[in-house]
Amino acid sequence: MANDLALMLPEIIVLLTAVAALVAEMLRQPRIAFFVSIAGLALATMLTLPLLGEQATAFSDTFRIDTLSIWAKLILLPATILSLLLVRAELGGSAREGTAYVLIIMITLASLIMAGAGDTMLLVLGILLAGLGSFALVAYPRTDAATEAAMKYFVFASVTAGVMIFGLTYWFGGTGSTLLSELVILEKSPALAAIGFIAVVIGLGYKAALVPFHFWAPDAYEGAPVSIAAYLSVIPKVGAIFALAQVVRDLPVESAWQWIIAVVAVLSMTYGYLAALGQQNVVRLLAYSSVAQAGYFLLGVIAVGSSPLAFESLIVFSAAYAAMNLGAFAIIMQVGRTLEAFKNVGRQFPVIGVAMVVFLISLAGIPPLAGFVGKFLLFGAAMEAGFTWLVVIAIINSVLSLAVYLRIVVPMYQPSENEATTTDIVTIPLVRQVWFAGLLLTVFIGLAAQFLLGSIS
Amino acid sequence: MIFISLVILVPLLAAIVILCLRKRAYELALAAAVVSLFGSLGLLFGSGAELILPGLPTMPLRLVATPLTSVLSTMVAVVSTLVLVYATGYMSQDKEKNRFFATLLLFIAAMQMLVLAGDWVLLLSAWELIGLSSYLLIGFWYQKPGVKTAATRAFLVTRSADLGLYIAAFILIASAGTSDIAATLNTDGTAAIVAGLFLLIAAMGKSAQTPLHDWLQRAMAGPTPVSALLHSATLVAAGAILLIRTAPMLPSETLVVIGIVGGITALITGLIALGESDLKRLLAASTSSQYGLMLLAVGAGVPLAALLHLIAHAAIKSSLFLGAGVFQHSRGSTALKDLAGVARDQPRIFIGFAIAALALAGIPPLSGFFSKDAIIAATMGSSHAWLFVPLVLIGTVLTGAYMARVLRILWQGNAQKKALAGLHWMSAGVAGLVILLIVLGALFPTIEAFVAAPLPGNMLAVGLGLSAALSGLLLGWFVPVRSLMGPLLEKANQGFSIAGGFDNLCVRPAFAIAHACEKLERRLYTAVLAVGKTGVKIAHVTRSSDEQGIDRFIFSIVHQTIRLGRQARALQSGLIHRELAITVIVTAGLFVVTVIGLLIY
Repeated sequence: MANDLALMLPEIIVLLTAVAALVAEMLRQPRIAFFVSIAGLALATMLTLPLLGEQATAFSDTFRIDTLSIWAKLILLPATILSLLLVRAELGGSAREGTAYVLIIMITLASLIMAGAGDTMLLVLGILLAGLGSFALVAYPRTDAATEAAMKYFVFASVTAGVMIFGLTYWFGGTGSTLLSELVILEKSPALAAIGFIAVVIGLGYKAALVPFHFWAPDAYEGAPVSIAAYLSVIPKVGAIFALAQVVRDLPVESAWQWIIAVVAVLSMTYGYLAALGQQNVVRLLAYSSVAQAGYFLLGVIAVGSSPLAFESLIVFSAAYAAMNLGAFAIIMQVGRTLEAFKNVGRQFPVIGVAMVVFLISLAGIPPLAGFVGKFLLFGAAMEAGFTWLVVIAIINSVLSLAVYLRIVVPMYQPSENEATTTDIVTIPLVRQVWFAGLLLTVFIGLAAQFLLGSIS
Repeated sequence: MIFISLVILVPLLAAIVILCLRKRAYELALAAAVVSLFGSLGLLFGSGAELILPGLPTMPLRLVATPLTSVLSTMVAVVSTLVLVYATGYMSQDKEKNRFFATLLLFIAAMQMLVLAGDWVLLLSAWELIGLSSYLLIGFWYQKPGVKTAATRAFLVTRSADLGLYIAAFILIASAGTSDIAATLNTDGTAAIVAGLFLLIAAMGKSAQTPLHDWLQRAMAGPTPVSALLHSATLVAAGAILLIRTAPMLPSETLVVIGIVGGITALITGLIALGESDLKRLLAASTSSQYGLMLLAVGAGVPLAALLHLIAHAAIKSSLFLGAGVFQHSRGSTALKDLAGVARDQPRIFIGFAIAALALAGIPPLSGFFSKDAIIAATMGSSHAWLFVPLVLIGTVLTGAYMARVLRILWQGNAQKKALAGLHWMSAGVAGLVILLIVLGALFPTIEAFVAAPLPGNMLAVGLGLSAALSGLLLGWFVPVRSLMGPLLEKANQGFSIAGGFDNLCVRPAFAIAHACEKLERRLYTAVLAVGKTGVKIAHVTRSSDEQGIDRFIFSIVHQTIRLGRQARALQSGLIHRELAITVIVTAGLFVVTVIGLLIY
């Protein structure tokens, strides 16, 4: 028991941080809530470091302490800190500021639980916990758009969670256990395994905003504050993807799960970028882009069990994705939500322009930036798993993605007919720190991929 | 060793000092020449010396003083010293004395280096230096019209012939494995024949042998002391010296060719000299003719005879040129018709000139008599006597004839008294050379013994030579040149250009090659242009296929993509029940995929 607690210490610290922040908020001390949150998450990150290399389970195999869950903490906790900075910059001073921190930390906790889930019930717990927080955060501004988006989000969550739990009963029936590690038993009854897996894909696919469970995402991102959208586009998504990887680890191949993943991946990548092509709102554009990026994640998931690169590629791409997506959203916070706002930004604010270009071409996967390294590893893993055709589709979509991201870059540098057009950009120190950190990480992960890979394996 | 350094380095240093100081040119030049002369004498009376300098790893640079080279070095030093004495007067009115004396000293140093060079590398560099400094000296009055052309012509002709020396040197070094001249002289067989022929080409260029004789007459554009030096002991002598030094190596096949070239030159340039109407050009043609005789002697297998004639000719020809220079100053022209009667203006100079002329014709007891007799005797002893002896005799007759003609023209006419600046310096130079040419004959047996080579003696040769010389003199004095030469006169005045000459041998082939190159280039240009045009055409085709094929394809893809995007957006209706329905339908699709997947497994 004590050992179990020690292994789950980071998660416990995160929970305690949330509680402490809630207490501070109840005392009407949002500043203290903010600093407690930051400090708590930083502490949790530090406490994760000694766990590196650990391979264990806690609480009767229900929680896994392995490469995926440890690196999920190392990536998601700092990403949450960066998100908190953004939230503080955007929502600081508003009436319920502290609750935002609490909810965010709770969602992070839920994502960590998903990433380390060894039990179907833990999976459901994570999805529900993350969902509850997300609805509230999306509805935070209390505008019509936000409320509608939150409502939509909630309806989708209800339906998908219901389907998921329904499907999971098949697994329980087949194995007599809620443990994921028992799934190997289903080798003899692949249909059973497949029905349950489709249910899981629906539940996690909704969380990760995969096609066709993504409909909530653009509306939710658009309705929510930009910082919340940034957060939701990264942390729960990575958690859900890692959870999917945890599930397929023990799933017998006979259930054709790889094909299901492949179909969803193709749909997500293609649909995401196609829909992004028509967007005028940069937040919506990035929302669809994050749908497509989720499809790329699946290339790593598909290789789990058949390629040693699978976990490494998932982890590296998660880190890269977190850095570049948060950075891009941070710049949107500073510049504005519409493509119109980005006009001439590159000429007027060279540093912001360069940073945005770096994030976007990294998202498109151009060397030597982080996005390239991540995608490169994902492609390698999928090819090793025998899904070359999927890699080909992914590469074609990468070309499409360049067109999507250039839609932001071009107005930034296009000489405008009216030179007098000057955009006023209010520099928010916190936001600048975030995108600057994102910029450093994007470049660093790209250049030091070798080092990163060495420390993962 | 110290003497060798003195001989070469002192004139060189003096040249540099003159160029730096820009004054005291006479004193420095004369002092350097005298020191150099003492150095040469030191070599002559010394017991031979060798100076090995570091050069290429396996080919050190050598300077050697053998009896032959020290005699030659002394000759160069004596003649150049006397010419410098003369030049002190001749150039006294010139503004560019410094440049003149510096270049002349460089010339002398280069010639000494050539004479004393003990290896081919050094010889080649000296050869090049001589070419360069002679170019500078011939073109000294470069402001005058035609001077630059003459200098360039001299340079180019000798340069093209220099190629022969390079090839010969490479053949010899390659076959002997060393650059030491003495060692390469042991070469025999085909290598020796080929190398000998290439050496001959080099010598023909420098010594102005037919058909490359043309440049020498044009080189008269330079100052007279330069001509005197060029013709006697330096530039032109280099060719003959080369052959004399390499004579032990030359096989009989090469020797015949050398003899024939020399004989033809003696004949043709003798005729040119006879028909010439300009004193300096006449002397120049005479130089070619005399070197022709020397080559004949080499070809006859007696290089010593050539050496003696070289030395005698050096003294004679320089005194003739120096005399001509005085006449030129006196009358302001070198055309024979302007010089008529100049002997009465400058009687003392004329006496010297006349003695030199008689010496050249071969009248005893002057030096020319002995050297020419040696040549005749040599040809008589040769296995090709039937060819060589008549050539020598005709050459001798011609020499007598043109010298007598000149003397007659200079003597007959009216005096035009005119004071000359620097006359005593010039007289001193001429006097010294005339004394030298008188006494040289007596020194010949000594040289003969010193070089240790037997000279064939022949009383018949003496008789033949003397009668040929006398008949030549008489013909030249009494018979007008027009009736003497008949139809040959015109051709001689044209420099026997039909017989070949510079234009036919160098200019025309060069132009032919140039034309061919131009034609080739034009064709290449057309070809390249055609290739370029084809490339442009292909590019056009590619572009139109791009525009009509690939571009249209890509545009259609783009349009399709955008249309798809619009449709994808249309799915996002915002109506949640419709969106959920889509989710359900696609999920049903997933089930179908799963079923298919299950069936596959």
